[in-house]
Amino acid sequence: MTKTTVVGQSVLRPDAYEKVRGGKGFPVNVTLPGMLHAKLLRSPYPHARIVGIDASEAEKLPGVKAVLLPEDVPQKKFCPVFFVPTMAASMIQDMLILSNTVRYTGQPVAAVAATSIEIAEQALELIDVEYEELDAVFDTESAMRDGAPRLHEAAENNIAKNPVFEFGDLEAGFAEADHIFEGTYKTQRAHTCYMEPRVCVVDCDADGRLTVHSSMQHMFGLREKLAFALDLPDSMVKVIKPPYIGGGFGGKLDIGYIEPIAALLSRKTGRPVRIEQTRFEDFISTTRNPIEVYLKTGIRADGTFTARYARSTLDCGAHATHGAEVIMVHGMFGILLTYRCQNQTWEGRTVYTNNMIGGGYRGYGSPQGCFAVESQIDEICNELGFDPIEFRLKNAHHEGDPHPFLQGFNLTTYRFEDCLRQGAERIDWTQRTSPDSKQGVLRRGVGLGCQPLWVSGCVGFPDIYEHSGAIITMNPDGTANLANATVDMGSGQITTLCQIAAEELGLRADQVRMTYADTETVPFDAPSHASRVTYSAGNAVKAAAADAKQKLLEVAAIMLDTDAGDLEVREGHVHQTGTDRKLTIAEVVTRAESPFVQMTAEGPMPTTIAEKGTIIGVSSLAPPSNPSPSSVEFVEVEVDTETGEVKVLQAVFAHDVGKLINPAAAEGQVEGGFQQGMGYALMENIQFDAETGTCLTGDFLDYKIPTAVEMPRRIESIFIESNEPTGPFGAKSLSEPCCTVPAPAIANAIFNAVGVRVKELPITPEKILAGLGKL
Amino acid sequence: MKKLITLEINGELTELSVEPSESLLQVLRRQYGLTGTKRGCDSGGCGCCTVHLDGKAVYSCMVFASSLQNRRVTTIEGLTGDGELDPLQTAFVEKGAVQCGYCTCGIIMTAKEFLSHESDPDEEQIRHAIAGNLCRCTGYHKIVEAIKTAGSGS
Repeated sequence: MTKTTVVGQSVLRPDAYEKVRGGKGFPVNVTLPGMLHAKLLRSPYPHARIVGIDASEAEKLPGVKAVLLPEDVPQKKFCPVFFVPTMAASMIQDMLILSNTVRYTGQPVAAVAATSIEIAEQALELIDVEYEELDAVFDTESAMRDGAPRLHEAAENNIAKNPVFEFGDLEAGFAEADHIFEGTYKTQRAHTCYMEPRVCVVDCDADGRLTVHSSMQHMFGLREKLAFALDLPDSMVKVIKPPYIGGGFGGKLDIGYIEPIAALLSRKTGRPVRIEQTRFEDFISTTRNPIEVYLKTGIRADGTFTARYARSTLDCGAHATHGAEVIMVHGMFGILLTYRCQNQTWEGRTVYTNNMIGGGYRGYGSPQGCFAVESQIDEICNELGFDPIEFRLKNAHHEGDPHPFLQGFNLTTYRFEDCLRQGAERIDWTQRTSPDSKQGVLRRGVGLGCQPLWVSGCVGFPDIYEHSGAIITMNPDGTANLANATVDMGSGQITTLCQIAAEELGLRADQVRMTYADTETVPFDAPSHASRVTYSAGNAVKAAAADAKQKLLEVAAIMLDTDAGDLEVREGHVHQTGTDRKLTIAEVVTRAESPFVQMTAEGPMPTTIAEKGTIIGVSSLAPPSNPSPSSVEFVEVEVDTETGEVKVLQAVFAHDVGKLINPAAAEGQVEGGFQQGMGYALMENIQFDAETGTCLTGDFLDYKIPTAVEMPRRIESIFIESNEPTGPFGAKSLSEPCCTVPAPAIANAIFNAVGVRVKELPITPEKILAGLGKL
Repeated sequence: MKKLITLEINGELTELSVEPSESLLQVLRRQYGLTGTKRGCDSGGCGCCTVHLDGKAVYSCMVFASSLQNRRVTTIEGLTGDGELDPLQTAFVEKGAVQCGYCTCGIIMTAKEFLSHESDPDEEQIRHAIAGNLCRCTGYHKIVEAIKTAGSGS
């Protein structure tokens, strides 16, 4: 592995200094002169046709500048998801900016722009909407039945998408099995709970050009979607890169209603329009889809899989949005590709209901799958007496194997076994006792959950954007500017990308600065999603830095009268290899930027044409591969058999990371991912009124997420390093598995503690007490 | 019907015209441009809006601005004396306790008040002190370490 000096260090985040003092860069702070405020009127009914709207009274209210109704918007259906082109074949184009058909409670039906939020809110109450209520369905079973209300013309039985993958011979596989296990596992609707609300300011100028500020995870996707929905060429929309945003986690990966509505209102009024969602509106904007998974698995007596069958039913709500892709990622990385088995069949169904729409959320379908798979493995091991670690290893992929799905790639580095063994040792796995042997009111248990195979970006997937670019400019003071379209939502891309550039350029991390960018001035970059930024954007940043470095060396070669091939960068200097001769990087850049006669401390110095020109490095490329990291979590819990409450005592997370770019930032991802995974396992659940479809958990008082008190006191991260040859300095990815593995680990730990198997998340005290026969 | 009040914000006396329904959070952000205090929910559920009112940590989204006559408000912007970072702020940066940063200022304000009457607290005390501040990025681990460091004066 290459020795590095900046990469691999826990460099402090430069944006942290500003954030602890207030943080000016959040999109929620953006204000423009003459800005109006807009609010959305939302449907109180889950399924209805709008028969009439009268906004005349609202328009008369002093301070109201424009009203938007369904008749005012382009009737152009789109898919709002950022990481694909709008008309991608894999996605379903079934949304309108405003529609006369309402399909979920809370769907926007009109909007008002006014001089203050209060006036806009008052105006909403003056809009008279006549609804014709229609029958609604709130669960996938009912929605798929013949005779159920058809929510979209194109979807018979409300099935939006129905992928099937078949490998080998399932029937033969089951015939060969010595044991067969079946079970159904259910996961709930959960929210990302990014702390900064979804917010945008859109300004339409006299030529119809839009400038957009938004708390979003993707600049170019926002541009493309907004342009499409409004029938504009992409070049008429400019998205400004926010210096940082207040969280996203996949919940800010689609065009909301707010950006196109703000754009249309701005066009109507000639003034910038701002829309900030309330927390309640955020709760009904984007969620992790609930998925019900039926698993049937065949095992030989020696513990190897002979056949695996799964059927997954995903509730996508009123529109498919991310549901069309979540089901695929779920089926592949949450189920089929987790372990080796020659005979597998998986069927997925994305089903429309009158529930709220879903969004992206860290893991993107794999948490729902891994919960099912890892729970069943635990059941199998418990019933047949296998050690859970050895069983998994018997069925695991191996380093060097061809990738089980992505054609043309191999598992060049794959350290699943190291993750299992090192994690097991750290939590004293061999000290585990069976549930039957435990006594007392408080009982402890240890469990494990894995995501054996994940991705580093989207190479190999049809339809999904996967290229990145960067521009690096050197300054005469020896520092570098990095312009790149990656949005930092807290995961630290600003820092890690600067580290990668600094390593390549022979600078310190604090000598590379992430600068302003917008969609007119930097190359395309895919979203901050799919655990891709370190690997994909990192590769592009490294390439741009290498390009800048080459030009730097060429100028230095002239200055030192040698060849660029004899030179290298190190510690802020250009060195002639094998000699004491060197120049500071600042000196070289100053020479390149100076006039033909350079004024130096020693007097005027003539320079040559060949040395002149700003030192810029540019890249735009797709990464060469999609290497697979692997993750394992071990958790110890304590269950109170009288109250059913679960306390998580400790967690040990082991991850096959390639090269660690920033250890502290990586730990931060693990610890934060655990909070989300633990909340998903034990307490989070977006709930609705069974008859009206109204969200009942639209604030943090009713929707519980773990606080500092509920968190385990010990979360240990073990990063297994290797050298992924296609990754920047050997790196693979990290961020999503941290959120996927806690739930199965916790569920399995609970079983180990009290012998209760809960197959439906969240695992509440009621479910545990019911399992103990006490309810 | 607007009401005229006088109050002190970050050490400065100021006169303010407020609507009956306006919260302290709205006033700070809209009328003073003090954007360090943030809205995460508006219903007292997340703590992103935490400020000090007469030295006590409160959710500014739950305080009516019209109740602020003659009172003393301190925001995150008022924490930095002479341009120097407060030890809590430094600790947050150095311990890697800041990710997206949206909850950060609210937690710092809560911790600041807590440490003013609790010297060298242990981990349990710290966790309970910040239980009213939600974070979705960090898992609180490094936040607790930062507060411990600042609290022990090291």
